[in-house]
Amino acid sequence: MRKDRIRIIAAIGIVLVFAGLVSVMHLGSAPDPSASTRFLARDLEETGASNRVAGVYLNYRLFDTLLEVLVFSVAVLGVRHYLQQSEGMELPDLSESEVVRTAVIFLTPLALLLCAFFAILGHISPGGGFAGGVIAASGLLYVAIAYGMRAMEKRLNPARLVRAEEAILLALLAFVLLPMVFGRTPLSDLMPKGTPGQLLSGGSILVYNILIALKVLVGAWAVIAAFAQHRGEL
Amino acid sequence: MAAVIAFILFGIGILGLVLRRDLVIKLLALGLVNSATILFLVSIGDRPGARAPIQLPGDVAILADPLPHALVLSAIVVNFAILALALVFVMILVERYHTTDSTRIEQEMVRETDEEEKPCS
Repeated sequence: MRKDRIRIIAAIGIVLVFAGLVSVMHLGSAPDPSASTRFLARDLEETGASNRVAGVYLNYRLFDTLLEVLVFSVAVLGVRHYLQQSEGMELPDLSESEVVRTAVIFLTPLALLLCAFFAILGHISPGGGFAGGVIAASGLLYVAIAYGMRAMEKRLNPARLVRAEEAILLALLAFVLLPMVFGRTPLSDLMPKGTPGQLLSGGSILVYNILIALKVLVGAWAVIAAFAQHRGEL
Repeated sequence: MAAVIAFILFGIGILGLVLRRDLVIKLLALGLVNSATILFLVSIGDRPGARAPIQLPGDVAILADPLPHALVLSAIVVNFAILALALVFVMILVERYHTTDSTRIEQEMVRETDEEEKPCS
């Protein structure tokens, strides 16, 4: 088959081009370790967050993170929009055995607790808004598996939750633009830097983490619910 | 070493993406490419004897470079978005053509367009 041969050649070509790029990166310019050491020495006092990764992505690269949150919102909207066009199926009222229910009673509060821990302490310890939101959404998925999707949808209506997600996105954007009201550059820190390692440190990172965790929780749950409604049998 | 493993995984992913005909397996291969990219970024940030970049003032441990780690975060979120949307498109295609084989879907589409054009000519 000629078409298959072209495909194989194309695939090997792509891999080789990337191999060339990576080797050029490694051979041509060895990264200067002193530059990153200088940067590491400075950013703790500049951001006030002892989790350096949070300091980078919610302070220096905040604009990038905002657009990333927007990508997430667009994905949630797209999934719901395209799935609405296909026919929904009648959800059977399935629920699992007593063992699963008992396990869920133990696991879901743990997942929600971990979400709160990751969101609130994301600037001091490992964690952050995205991870926390996804963990809490999987906690909700446990409940949906154990008690059935239909019972879950009565409590948490996904259509209404998408509105809530947009509201949280607006709140996030408003909070980013809030420094303008006080005559400062947008995207700059509004809250005090504090002592690194304390709960109230790292400027606005705490607020961003909590808002992002809520947004990802709502958005991921809306995606899960949309998939369950149109295909799976939970 | 991690960079080499990342590269091998990347190669397997690209080969699967181009050569396999099943759409779901193509998506899995895309996930593999994404994981390889993440592994590569993490390996860039590593330095000999480095610890995770979480540090209090006065702590003088060698830290890994946090910038690639922040890029990994973007990569994970974007991959989640792509995977969710792509799965929806695969579901729509399967609903219409009742197969996940990309070649057969292409053939069906060509046949459909031919049938639409015939009455005109």
